[in-house]
Amino acid sequence: MRDIPRQTTLRQWDQRYEQMQKAGVAQPSYGGLLSRHIEDGDTRLLKLRYDNSAAALRLWNFLLTEEDRLREARDRGKKIVGTMKDLGTVPVMAYSLDNVVAFYPDGAWWTPCVMELNAGLLSIADSLGIDESFCPVRAMLGAFVTGSRFPIPELLICSVGATCDDFSAIAQRLDGLGYPILWWEIPHRRTPEPGEESVKLPGGFSAPRCQVEFVKAELQRVRKALEEFAGQHLSEEKLSAGIKKANQVRRLLADLRRLVFGARLCPMPALEMLVAEMLAIHFCSDRDEAIAVLKELLDEVRERIKEGTGLLRDDAARIFWVNPVADLQVMNLLEDCGGRICGTEYMFTHALDEIPENLPAMEALAQMALADPMVGSLADRASRICTEIRRFDAEAVVISRIPGASHCALEGQVIGEIVQAELDVPVLEIEVPSLTDSIAQALRTRLEALVEAVRERRKK
Amino acid sequence: MKRIIYSCPYVPAEWIAAHGLQPSRIIPDPAASSAVRRPADCRKTGAGASPIGPVEGLCPYVRAFLNEAINDKRACGVVVTTVCDQMRRGFDVLTRQCNIASFLMNVPRTWQTFAAQKLYLDELGRLSLFLVRLGGNSPTPDALAEVMLQYDAARRSIRASRAYLSARQYAEAIAALGQEGPAQGRKSEMGRGVPLAIIGGPLTRGDFDIFDIVEQSGGKIVLDATETGERGMCGPFDRRRLHEDPLTELANAYFGGIQDASRRPNSELYRWLGHELAARAVRGIIFRRYVWCDTWHAELQRLKEWTDLSVLDIDVAGDTDTERRRWQNRIRAFLETLT
Repeated sequence: MRDIPRQTTLRQWDQRYEQMQKAGVAQPSYGGLLSRHIEDGDTRLLKLRYDNSAAALRLWNFLLTEEDRLREARDRGKKIVGTMKDLGTVPVMAYSLDNVVAFYPDGAWWTPCVMELNAGLLSIADSLGIDESFCPVRAMLGAFVTGSRFPIPELLICSVGATCDDFSAIAQRLDGLGYPILWWEIPHRRTPEPGEESVKLPGGFSAPRCQVEFVKAELQRVRKALEEFAGQHLSEEKLSAGIKKANQVRRLLADLRRLVFGARLCPMPALEMLVAEMLAIHFCSDRDEAIAVLKELLDEVRERIKEGTGLLRDDAARIFWVNPVADLQVMNLLEDCGGRICGTEYMFTHALDEIPENLPAMEALAQMALADPMVGSLADRASRICTEIRRFDAEAVVISRIPGASHCALEGQVIGEIVQAELDVPVLEIEVPSLTDSIAQALRTRLEALVEAVRERRKK
Repeated sequence: MKRIIYSCPYVPAEWIAAHGLQPSRIIPDPAASSAVRRPADCRKTGAGASPIGPVEGLCPYVRAFLNEAINDKRACGVVVTTVCDQMRRGFDVLTRQCNIASFLMNVPRTWQTFAAQKLYLDELGRLSLFLVRLGGNSPTPDALAEVMLQYDAARRSIRASRAYLSARQYAEAIAALGQEGPAQGRKSEMGRGVPLAIIGGPLTRGDFDIFDIVEQSGGKIVLDATETGERGMCGPFDRRRLHEDPLTELANAYFGGIQDASRRPNSELYRWLGHELAARAVRGIIFRRYVWCDTWHAELQRLKEWTDLSVLDIDVAGDTDTERRRWQNRIRAFLETLT
């Protein structure tokens, strides 16, 4: 059952859902009315606008039922591992074991937004001395203390080294509260010294061979811990199969991004694309279903492009977006202001690049971990952003600061300078807290000004 | 002698000195560095070339260090480490804003594995290449051992003088060792008062007044567990190992001996504190942290839960003059509760 693409409210979605039911459109086991999630406290959903495709509904229901899925997995005897910070590497290993489910407790950073602070997670973090000067990921502490957001993992694995201090400090606080963490080191990716063997990483960055070897050894420690945890040998064959599956997800996302960001008329809104990209990091706790969800989304996009349909104005300003937003509503806001997303760098491009399948598994995973844009220099990160801006023909850049995040204080200036010098496109830096209601007008004004600047430049 | 500036305690001064260069662990002055307009050797022109102004979310120490490094015309090289994420990012700003030769040293946050220790040692090797490029000479083991002995003796001397120095003099003696290298003869002046510890990241130049403020208020800092204080000094070298393999001993003493909140896990910091607080009969703790320093800020509540001692939180935004009066009042009130 397909309809003219448009964005709908939650209430409109419910009406449409009734129609879909009557028309006999099959729903997955986790399907149902989107509004039922309001009863769980996800009140922000009332203020968002959604793509009206069945594929988008499935995506949202998949996202919003993850906690249920984790609890069901535990009930079925699966072991749950909390992977933290590395955004994409350790879950590939964990899902290679057939009795382990991995997820990122870091994802709780969206809870204050989705539940509009009703869960009280930030208040708990406050009481533990982690106040609003930290990144909203501090909500994770509250989620652990209350145990109400996700089942507490039996094993926690966190990358540390070239990572944000705020996350590292919060994770250490968690460790100090009695949730022991297996720490593994990811060093700052550096330029190879003259004469030093260099490795070209997925995505295009380079690193010295010795750093790849170091990370490989660190991941071997993680592998051993996972094996002990699962009571299973994590063989090369299993890892290779896990990498192939992860690559399936990555290829689907690559196609989706290429089609959506490159289309003349926007075939899928920014919000759904953000959620879709997030599936890459831990598959929303069900790898096979994540693949099915993405396939349906991709099919919908292909159909829309074939039919020449889409959303938003065809002259929407093509915006490249840097960093994920703490308030999902800002993705809607950009579109309200006359923009559309044409390229993203949500801090985990390494989880979108295909993992080499022609290398020994641990070598491939180590290369992938080192390809993380956040572990290298700002110049590296900016250069990849420039490449992607060119690829998707973006006309302006929004750098979205995460309040309290240690990397945000200086990165905007450096990335902005490099992008402007190289591409001469306007760059806007904004800060997006978990709830933007009180600053919505100011944000709107700034985003509108950016869109206006893009339109003016087109006239020249 | 060519001067190499740095601030992180995990950069061994001995290693730089053994290359025939002058190590200088700078103690930045936020007020002075902000007043400087534009470095003469900046390759850029326009607004981007001026010192870094206040930026929302930027730790005032990082800002002060970067400005000091950008404006230091006597330095021929700067070493920054990855111990602090904002410093790591600051390195990118530094390399874009001025022409000073710069080196980013990977200091692992994990410490319990052989691989982490080896990474640190390898980084010292890479630092050596950098120093040689700047005109230094790769030291022989004997030359390194000799420099290590000099520094070791200086540190022993400073530690031994603790009982005879005011807290400020003691802190300044440690800072002077980092800035100027080993020297002889320190003035003696012992203060009395309620024994306190000061815990936190590095101090800036104006912050040394805090020792006077404490003494004027009836206390005495008997444990300087700031990064620029005793906590940031490596322990004594093992003489036998020093002669057998000086570089490994140097790495062990620094990487294995300096405890910091940034380590993962940072349990050894608490073990060290537990020992030192008890040994010095500390009765209260001044917890000094920079606004936006997540690493130390996150430890405040944990420290309060961990210790039976009273803890006074002093947050610093970098405006020492304005903050001094606030510190004074808070420290006086704190000491009143302890007496």
